[in-house]
Amino acid sequence: MTQSQHREVVITGVGVVNAAVVGDSAALAAWLDAPTAAPRSRVGQARPAVRLPETTLPSLIDAAEGRRLARVCQLAIGAARFAVGEAGLDAASGVGLVIGSELGDYTSTIAFADGYLARGPAGLSALLFPNTVMNTMAATTAIAVATRELSLTINVPTVSGELAVARAAAAVASGRVDAVLAGGVDELDPLVAEMLDALGDDGVRGEGAAFVMLEAAATARARGARILGRIAGSAWRALPARPWGVGRRVASVAVAEAQARAGGIAPEWVYASASGDAPRDAWESRVLSAALGPRRVPTTSLGALVGHHAGLGVLHVASAAWSAGSGRLPTADGAHVPVPRHAGLVHGLGRGGGHVALMVDAA
Amino acid sequence: MRRVLVTGLGVVSPFGAGVKAYWAGLAAGTCAIRPLTIIDATGFRCRIAAEVVEMAAGSPRRSRADRLALGAATEALDDAGLGRADRAAAALVVGAVGGGMLEAESWYWARARGEQLPSWAASLRAMLPAAHAEVLAHRLGLGGPRHTVVTACSSGAVALAECAELIADGVVDVALAGGVDAVTRMCFMGFNALKLLDPDPCRPFDRDRRGMSIGEGAAFVVLEEAERARARGARAYAELAGHAMTTDAYHVTAPQPEGEGMARAMTAALAAGGIGPRDVGYANAHGTGTAQNDRIEARALARVFGAGGLLVSSTKSMIGHTMAAAGSLEAVATILGLVQETIPPTAGLTTPDPEIEFDCVPRVARELAVEHAISNSFGFGGQNITVLFRRV
Repeated sequence: MTQSQHREVVITGVGVVNAAVVGDSAALAAWLDAPTAAPRSRVGQARPAVRLPETTLPSLIDAAEGRRLARVCQLAIGAARFAVGEAGLDAASGVGLVIGSELGDYTSTIAFADGYLARGPAGLSALLFPNTVMNTMAATTAIAVATRELSLTINVPTVSGELAVARAAAAVASGRVDAVLAGGVDELDPLVAEMLDALGDDGVRGEGAAFVMLEAAATARARGARILGRIAGSAWRALPARPWGVGRRVASVAVAEAQARAGGIAPEWVYASASGDAPRDAWESRVLSAALGPRRVPTTSLGALVGHHAGLGVLHVASAAWSAGSGRLPTADGAHVPVPRHAGLVHGLGRGGGHVALMVDAA
Repeated sequence: MRRVLVTGLGVVSPFGAGVKAYWAGLAAGTCAIRPLTIIDATGFRCRIAAEVVEMAAGSPRRSRADRLALGAATEALDDAGLGRADRAAAALVVGAVGGGMLEAESWYWARARGEQLPSWAASLRAMLPAAHAEVLAHRLGLGGPRHTVVTACSSGAVALAECAELIADGVVDVALAGGVDAVTRMCFMGFNALKLLDPDPCRPFDRDRRGMSIGEGAAFVVLEEAERARARGARAYAELAGHAMTTDAYHVTAPQPEGEGMARAMTAALAAGGIGPRDVGYANAHGTGTAQNDRIEARALARVFGAGGLLVSSTKSMIGHTMAAAGSLEAVATILGLVQETIPPTAGLTTPDPEIEFDCVPRVARELAVEHAISNSFGFGGQNITVLFRRV
């Protein structure tokens, strides 16, 4: 096996497409400076959620791509292009891709099934079929931005985006690849939203995509890239829980490991995966309390503003780099809490027990 | 340098439950592709698949795929002799595509017909690919890092690579890795829609091949850091000596015509293992049986190993294309080939394609001891992986 290294990992590009932010790190910074909640609307029979305005994607994806690509793939490609463009990196030189998604493309899956149910075998679409596999966003994004090294799609409840960044950071830190585009993407399908309601997930749901370009610090600096932030340490573990369930254990191994890899520093503030899913949020609070000890550490989540989706964890990573540089932690009511210009923690704890911790610092 | 050994194997295949049944079927060159029974194939050109007839034990309330996974994972953990404490620290990575789609389809089909519906909450909970890992971790007490990878038909092999990296990087000392998929309507209908299914059992590398056959199953392996495995006296089947993942970035379903990404994966896997092409004696091919895949894979193999440079076979000729399970089932076939000093054959290969310049081990297994063997897996989206195994 390749000898493991421990290289410094930096962020050189950001791309976001959701109901509140569309663009690169500058667009994200402008929104974080005065964060406002995106409006919620009803999705089918499900509870109101944060949907992307219908005008957004046509402004990012040309008409031919729009006809050819599923909507969730368009979300991913739109955000990925912002991140690649900002990084100014020639992806063909050797870039990996890691995408987290909770739900994949169930819109196409349902349409594919409906074709058969309406017309039998003659109603099946060969074009829709590849979209029924959850790696369709990675497949189309890799083609769109020419990433040719490892390509992973990671599926885990709640924390797919956080885990995608942590997994990508591990690939860069180990020396196996110099750069990885890491992101998260989900869309809201009306039927799936209803099913999530039935499962008892009462969080604010949203849709969109967010990407960060992660690079080995030495190679990024050598090419004169603008450094937007630093993944100082990351780790993922799992806590015991029933499938899709909320557990009781409050172990904090992931947080401790991320801190250790960051040189033993303690976070001064936290972006948590809190989404309004009450039992899960309460569990995360207990886990964070155990991890951070008696200190009161300012904690926020952008979930209430943009809705929970796999892009949220990645948005938190990009936003954490902004907070570390600006000393401001945005709150769910559009205000800010002043925080030390110091590394903070991006924390994810999912239904089922997926546990991710990333220590994020400014450039 | 932390080396990674394979210390446990578990399989549920169309030959039945267990590694023993799997190897007996492969070594005999038996084709397990038969008429479909799980789903209604009326109106389709292809009506066959390699189904698991003898299901592993498990509650019928679980999805078929979850039961396949539980059977294979339990066997692998028991085979490795991992106790409760070992399991509590073990990583788990599952390669998955269909999840519990078979049961979700039943719910959706019933909904479309206006029939009484089973619980939709249960359908969604089991439908996501991540469901298998959650069930395995909960049932088997696996408490280390856990995730699910979806890289289409290469998912099972990618799961092995993910765990190998976690061990090599010192994150964990032991891990359970594998892939699982049950036959689903979506998969069967989709490959029919793409006109990629042979109405008869598939014949990889044959001049007259007409496409692939669908299969189902699960395979898991226990991977373990070498010093730890030796210290506890574990039996080692093989070393996972290297792997590499590449992406074609070419087409959503078609491989790059020259096999450039496939060849890059093979070359990088050999480099990771510190060996050259002449050190490898056998390639368990992705070998789907489609005209395009087999020709392009052979082209890529020739670029790396030279025409005829090693033995090549496709075990899909016996168990069909088991989707997310394929990469892990074929890894186990490759490992057993090293251990048993026997190369599993390509069943149904009667007229070798003259464009494929390799000995593809037609119909009869070949006794041969090789030091290194590779397993290739390629997925939709040009997601390529080669895993290299070394005899121990």
